[in-house]
Amino acid sequence: MSRYQTIPVWDAVTRAWHWLLALTVISGWLLGEFRTFSLMQWHFYAGFCTGGLLLFRIFWGMTGPPPVRFAALIPKPRALIADLRGFFRREPSGVAGHSPLGGLSVLVMLTLLIIQVCTGLFAEDDSLFHEGPLSDTISSATVRKVTSIHRQNSNLLLIMFGLHISVMVFYYVWKKENLVRAMLIGRKLVRVEQGRSDEKDGQQRD
Amino acid sequence: MNKLIGITPLILALCFSGTVAYVAHAAGNDPLLKAVKARQAEMTLRSFNAGPLFGMAKGDIEYDAGLAATLANNLLILTTAKNGRMWPVGSDNETYPDDTRSLPEIWTTYPDIADKGKAYVDAVTALADVAGTGLGELRSVIGDVGQSCKGCHDDFRAEEDY
Repeated sequence: MSRYQTIPVWDAVTRAWHWLLALTVISGWLLGEFRTFSLMQWHFYAGFCTGGLLLFRIFWGMTGPPPVRFAALIPKPRALIADLRGFFRREPSGVAGHSPLGGLSVLVMLTLLIIQVCTGLFAEDDSLFHEGPLSDTISSATVRKVTSIHRQNSNLLLIMFGLHISVMVFYYVWKKENLVRAMLIGRKLVRVEQGRSDEKDGQQRD
Repeated sequence: MNKLIGITPLILALCFSGTVAYVAHAAGNDPLLKAVKARQAEMTLRSFNAGPLFGMAKGDIEYDAGLAATLANNLLILTTAKNGRMWPVGSDNETYPDDTRSLPEIWTTYPDIADKGKAYVDAVTALADVAGTGLGELRSVIGDVGQSCKGCHDDFRAEEDY
């Protein structure tokens, strides 16, 4: 039985960033999937906002608080294997940040989103005669290739977000940890090291 | 015997070039492929005429009433030709994956595509009515044109995957 305490892990900027990103990505996906001639411009705006948020995240990953830094996201192989082994254990991860698997998942999602925004800038919709702002700068054959990547990558993103949400549900139901709440209020269950638990006012958790 | 071996490469080369020539000749005469080329040419014509109209509506190029009226009318004229011959049964992307993105559903769900075609004709007719009367008017109808292109492409054109 481990002891946990609920302590601040996610800073306000990271939380705001996360939910803004959720907003721009979901609306961007909807506006792209169900695009019409008049709505297409809004798909572009959603993409620009997502791009801005991603640029900020790159900056934040180098200068932000320790749990959001890239150094904390890149999992060490040994930690990743240990994390995988304990994945179905019915207890919270207890990490003061992303778990090794979680960090890896964040990196994958960020990478896919960067690909999505970058290809969108060069893509076209030849039915609605819309084109990304930079599509003039490359050949039309390349535009078609990039458009194809933009469309297929959106399916990969959809899979990743399905996984993202499934894991949140899995944590809540199976591992007894509300990660969504943690991303909302910033405070997260963190395992207290043995021997140090008495020093802090950590609360016992069943 | 040695002589025969000596001319083997020549025979092989003849066989190979003969096959290539035959295939090339057959493709050139394939009426289905000719139809594919013809309808692709028609799509190019539509897109060439529609392009500046969409450009004006989006503000990429300056609105020109005369040009807009001409292009919209061109699109309307293109809809009046009876081009059913461009869509023979079998000219789909299962038979010709390298040449066309036309899905077999065009034929298997017929006449669904005719409804899409009618939506396009209606949209272009409305476009031709007002395209030359002002940018606002052009903008009010151009979306329906794009939407009717998209409606057909979504259902009957394969996505371009690499």
